[in-house]
Amino acid sequence: MSAEPYKVADIHLADFGRKEIQLAEHEMPGLMATRAEYAESQPLRGARITGSLHMTIQTAVLIETLVALGAQVRWASCNIFSTQDHAAAAIAVGPDGTPDDPKGIPVFAWKGETLDEYWWCTVQALTWPNGEAPNMILDDGGDATLFVHKGAEYEAAGAVPSPSETDSEEWVVILDKLRDSLADAPGKWTKAVETIKGVTEETTTGVHRLYEMHKAGSLKFPAINVNDSVTKSKFDNKYGCRHSLIDGINRGTDVLIGGKVALVLGYGDVGKGCAESLRGQGARVIVTEIDPICALQAAMDGYQVSTLDDVVGQVDIFVTTTGNKDIILAADMAKMKHQAIVGNIGHFDNEIDMAGLAATPGIKRVNVKPQVDEWRFPDGHTIIVLSEGRLLNLGNATGHPSFVMSNSFTNQVMAQIEIFTKPEAYPVGVYTLPKHLDEKVARLHLDALGVKLTVLSKDQADYIGVPVEGPYKPDHYRY
Amino acid sequence: MSTDAPRRYRTVPGLAELGDGRISYAERSMPLLAALASRFAAERPFDGMIIAACLHVTAETAVLVRALRAGGARVRLAASNPLSTQDDIAAALASGDGVEVFARAGVDRDTYYEHIALALGADRPGGIGDAEGPDLVLDDGGDLVSTLHTRARPEVLDRVRGGCEGTTTGVLRLRRMAADGTLAFPVIAASDTPVTRLVDNRHGTAQSVIDGLLRASGILLAGKTVVVAGFGACGVGIAESARALGARVVITEVDPVRALDAVLRGFLVLPLADAAPIGEVFITATGSTDVITGQHLAVMRDGAILANAGHFDVEIDVRALAALAVGVQSDVRPHADAYELADGRRLLLLAEGRVVNLVAANGHPPEVMDLAFGIEALTLARLARTSQRLPAAVHPVPSDIDAEAAQMVLAALGTRTDSLTPAQRAYLASWRLGS
Repeated sequence: MSAEPYKVADIHLADFGRKEIQLAEHEMPGLMATRAEYAESQPLRGARITGSLHMTIQTAVLIETLVALGAQVRWASCNIFSTQDHAAAAIAVGPDGTPDDPKGIPVFAWKGETLDEYWWCTVQALTWPNGEAPNMILDDGGDATLFVHKGAEYEAAGAVPSPSETDSEEWVVILDKLRDSLADAPGKWTKAVETIKGVTEETTTGVHRLYEMHKAGSLKFPAINVNDSVTKSKFDNKYGCRHSLIDGINRGTDVLIGGKVALVLGYGDVGKGCAESLRGQGARVIVTEIDPICALQAAMDGYQVSTLDDVVGQVDIFVTTTGNKDIILAADMAKMKHQAIVGNIGHFDNEIDMAGLAATPGIKRVNVKPQVDEWRFPDGHTIIVLSEGRLLNLGNATGHPSFVMSNSFTNQVMAQIEIFTKPEAYPVGVYTLPKHLDEKVARLHLDALGVKLTVLSKDQADYIGVPVEGPYKPDHYRY
Repeated sequence: MSTDAPRRYRTVPGLAELGDGRISYAERSMPLLAALASRFAAERPFDGMIIAACLHVTAETAVLVRALRAGGARVRLAASNPLSTQDDIAAALASGDGVEVFARAGVDRDTYYEHIALALGADRPGGIGDAEGPDLVLDDGGDLVSTLHTRARPEVLDRVRGGCEGTTTGVLRLRRMAADGTLAFPVIAASDTPVTRLVDNRHGTAQSVIDGLLRASGILLAGKTVVVAGFGACGVGIAESARALGARVVITEVDPVRALDAVLRGFLVLPLADAAPIGEVFITATGSTDVITGQHLAVMRDGAILANAGHFDVEIDVRALAALAVGVQSDVRPHADAYELADGRRLLLLAEGRVVNLVAANGHPPEVMDLAFGIEALTLARLARTSQRLPAAVHPVPSDIDAEAAQMVLAALGTRTDSLTPAQRAYLASWRLGS
């Protein structure tokens, strides 16, 4: 296995990356306040964190915050398109290094990885020097967690199974990587699952995997579901996507959104943010849902709620936000309007059936520019697919703005500290962050916005039965 | 013609006091008219003049009337809608202020026109146009001006220095009168200023039409499909407000420019024939006639609600509705009549198809009327002071009046604005400076 210290697209982009990191630091007050608060106590000293999370400028501020709290870190991106190459270069070089003498952290990420390269990068991030294993995982989508679990499972079974005909291309790659690993370093993943104190998981998709694993009894270490912190899910999923969806569509296509018919598939937090921003730009938004509560919410917010089948021929812009698979199939795309725009903002690329699209007889793909493809059907009509069906806000734009990510990532740091410093409080299972930490994350962001908080009097606090300093809401409260 | 109809009206004890209290309450939200009342009291622009006015008799109208009277005018006031008079306000103006008021809520069509004739002096010995004919007229919908032209002698029309019209509907009528040579004196179209279009139609109508709709129907708007016929300034405001309350809004239009505006704001635009079967609430705001007809009523959903925001009751074909119906339950709620159709469907008509924001609610909030009426008051003062009468035509409000009114409202709100510097003025006036 390679022993490269890092692998990025172009190490000479580091200066540009460092400038953007400095701009982002100003927009990430929660992370910067965390650095100040824990500068002395160094709660993450001794932590060996493997991170699998979009290697962006904002993530760079997260990584350097973890380092500032005493952690050692290795990093890979969790998506083949989402790396910002200047961010990766700046992290590899570090604040004190130069491109000729890099002193940063081992990062393995570049924009436009193949699936094989992507999993190679993940393995690099999980592979520590001197045969050591990571003792913490910071995951986004659950790929790092999946990999070590599958590795340990196959090590116990003695072999990696052969792929079947119906396996996805990606699963075949994962099995290949694990087969190589079992040959090179037997027992590596068994040791890893024993060493890892826990994982903090960033996103809905990964959280879903974790709950499934825990239910099946296969989860090997505790997990904190960062996604469901209020200051994560509402901010990142709703406000972040509200911002970056439009940004991605604009950068990718430059179409006027006003007057277009947009279909938002799914009306969870992400769908709500997407629908709001599309409407704000003047689009007429239609929503699809499977959940009657979310569907009713959409209707109450004034959206038409329909099915993909009913409206597929009248929609100009399709956005999948479900976290589920097989949302838009090739047969649907065949019925779309000429030059309909199709994009996904859900975590994985299985919401839009790209394989089915590519397998359509007679279809032709014309690349317009990076992350923008026009697919021409035999009947002559074309559709425009953004980021090959992967999340377009990261592929076509630069993802969530720094301020939103500061909320998400401050939760990540709190969660890392929780598990690393209090392992006894977290037996194997899936947890959300305690309410007082959620409130703390919010509090750390108020000053930067000039927010003045009203303070409860003791009498008022007693009247509603909460401490003056919080937490203010019961755990089941829905913000 | 009966000339003693108003004399028959007796106010209920306490009614005038109630109205007076509401006028005082409205005054607090009408800083522009308050400022103008002080200015008029000093300058007396209307000294010795008679102003005949045909307006919705509301608390806000009363504040306008008081400002005009502060400027020295005698005011003779009739209602501009048979249903919209607030009787307590009429009582307060008649008994406390000594205004000659000819208005009562819920009159029939003949009495309505009789009231207008009385405001024009029909109860004088010489009928309309004796020595006390109006010097200035203030109209809302054009009924007073049209009555004056059809019933008064030419010399009476000559005496009128000019008028002011407050609604789009009235302005359209006046333009037709001017086009066929009938209009005998100048009228300023006060509904048509940039500021009133913005504030009165867009914001005032929007809020009060929704208010009237909710009061009369009691429905939750969120989740409803609301069809707004007409996407002029009123329709835009209604549509945006309904959407903000969670309704899914469908627009119908005849004008391609407005329809395009609606589409670019994200509204679904459909022909009314296509919107009729899907709408749950229909609001007409066109200023036109025969917008919702029998063919549309025939295909509407059970429980569909019909309301009109346009000035006249001609936008919804109420006769066709009555003809389709096998039964009518009047006032299932105040200002809501349920029409039962032969197939069992029920359609709910609000305010008898008359202007819903005035009938079922209290019309525009006072802040909106403050601006609209302030512009009309400033315009009447300008007409009163101008020594040479303007040509007999429909004129726009002079732009300096519009700007002055906006500036006075901003001052009252405590909002400060920037002013152009001399260098900026020079830049904007010059074509020589480029990049």
